[in-house]
Amino acid sequence: MSIKEQIKSILQEAEIYRVQGLLNEAMIKYKIAAELVEKNVKQESRQSLIDGITKKIELLKGTILKYNDPEKTPEMPVEIQNLIKDKFAFSADKESAVLEGAIALSKFGQYERAITEFSELLKNDSLRLVAAKNILRCYFANSSVDGALSKYEQWLKSGLFHEGQIEKIRFFLENLLKDKGIERELPIADVPEEKTVFEKATIEKPVSGKGLMTDIPQQEEAEEDEFLDVNSVGIEITDGPQKGKEIVLDVAFQSGKSVSLIIPGREKTLIETFKVGLKLDNVQFYSPIAILNGSGVISAFTKIASGPKMGSFSLDLKISA
Amino acid sequence: MAIFNLKNREIECKVVYYGPGRSGKTTNLEYIFKTFKKQVTDQLVSIDTEGDRTLFFDFLPMGLGKIGGCDIRVQLYTVPGQVQYSSTRKLVLKGADGIVFVADSFAIRRDKNILSLKDLDQNLKECGLNIFKIPLVLQFNKRDMSSMSDGSIPIMSVETMQNDLNRQLKVPCFPASALTGEGVGRTLKESLKLTLLHLQKELKWAQK
Ligand SMILES: Nc1nc2c(ncn2[C@@H]2O[C@H](COP(=O)(O)OP(=O)(O)OP(=O)(O)O)[C@@H](O)[C@H]2O)c(=O)[nH]1
Ligand SMILES: [Mg+2]
Repeated sequence: MSIKEQIKSILQEAEIYRVQGLLNEAMIKYKIAAELVEKNVKQESRQSLIDGITKKIELLKGTILKYNDPEKTPEMPVEIQNLIKDKFAFSADKESAVLEGAIALSKFGQYERAITEFSELLKNDSLRLVAAKNILRCYFANSSVDGALSKYEQWLKSGLFHEGQIEKIRFFLENLLKDKGIERELPIADVPEEKTVFEKATIEKPVSGKGLMTDIPQQEEAEEDEFLDVNSVGIEITDGPQKGKEIVLDVAFQSGKSVSLIIPGREKTLIETFKVGLKLDNVQFYSPIAILNGSGVISAFTKIASGPKMGSFSLDLKISA
Repeated sequence: MAIFNLKNREIECKVVYYGPGRSGKTTNLEYIFKTFKKQVTDQLVSIDTEGDRTLFFDFLPMGLGKIGGCDIRVQLYTVPGQVQYSSTRKLVLKGADGIVFVADSFAIRRDKNILSLKDLDQNLKECGLNIFKIPLVLQFNKRDMSSMSDGSIPIMSVETMQNDLNRQLKVPCFPASALTGEGVGRTLKESLKLTLLHLQKELKWAQK
């Protein structure tokens, strides 16, 4: 290949990389071409060639700069935000799913929408604190320290949080400020009584990892009764003040489609409504690889009378659909 | 994370197109969208930046009809390949049931392919998944460039790419051109086959 052909071929290569958006690769090739011209091309035609390549390099530099500009992530159209909220929430439990969706929105830089979603969760006792912290985090990520401060003050006055919670929020906010190099004493709450305190049963999150599969396979049943490992089971409360809430219970033991669950004695609402033969609709079965929703029938329900789980209840659920 | 609705007998699973920046992930989905009209159930959503680089992800929902008595829905995603979008990649990867790794056949992108595969391995680990266990297929994209170019564009041989990327994994691999569509369907079908077989083993839905 003559030197001229060589240069031409390198320029072609650079051009293809540029069109493909491989800008750094294109740049490398243009520079090699320029060098070759500089060293090898005769005086008469050299300058115009160099000029041509230099122009391309300059244009490319501009494009690279523009693409590398770390501008703020744009706020997306609502449909896209809805898609993110929907597709990046994996929990079957509704409230946890809203929380996950809101966190995903904030991770995708959709701060305003995320704040709207987190604000909805402030109504929820068990998620109020985590929602509040996330709201503050969003303001900071969106470079609106003032927004965070005025939110805090608004919360102070609102009485939405009890004293322990507002203290935690204040501490959290002060740390966020510190990270920004801002030392600031924040106003303290004067909440009269702990009137918003709720004694709430913590929802246990489904544990990941291997399910507890029984080691005594029941031969006759095994064939038709095979079922994937279930780690935990979510049961929706259908009555009373906690209606609609999901309680997640760990599976202590599983044999095919039958799972044994331990219900802590404090889950009174559940315990009162359960009896053998009752069909539970809308049950979530959590396994390491999938969430299944279906229903189950209670096949045994007994109070544990001795041992470390004394006072708790043991419930056998037969997965029915 | 597949979602299996036992009542409606409906399975929804997720396949993620992974690979270095500019390797042709989005182009794969564009071709699938144009070509598999019967299976595609909604618009292709592309969230990209100036210069057509994926910023968040692409999203394409498909319906495969009934298999083993279950309605199968698949959602295809692409990750942004550019190095700086690492956290977004992790986010998009979460809950994947199957992976298509789209490698670039340009010799100049050789290292980037390898780095991206390592990045996949790492991110899968962080999601609690294992690259040797998750249904995975490789695609060596842009093969059209080897016949088109007069040798001015250095393209890696399939053997080189196999050796670089598939020596340990030993997964199915497909030379392809997302631009012309060559190999795109085959890649997708193999990925879906592996993904569904894997899910079937876990969920045992077709046995009843
Ligand atoms: N010749 C050729 N070009 C291709 C092929 N596939 C993709 N391209 C081109 O490569 C460039 C990048 O393609 P994309 O599909 O946007 O790449 P991507 O992997 O989605 O890139 P990121 O979103 O940045 O990660 C575009 O200019 C495409 O036209 C192919 O098979 N052959
Ligand atoms: Mg893309």
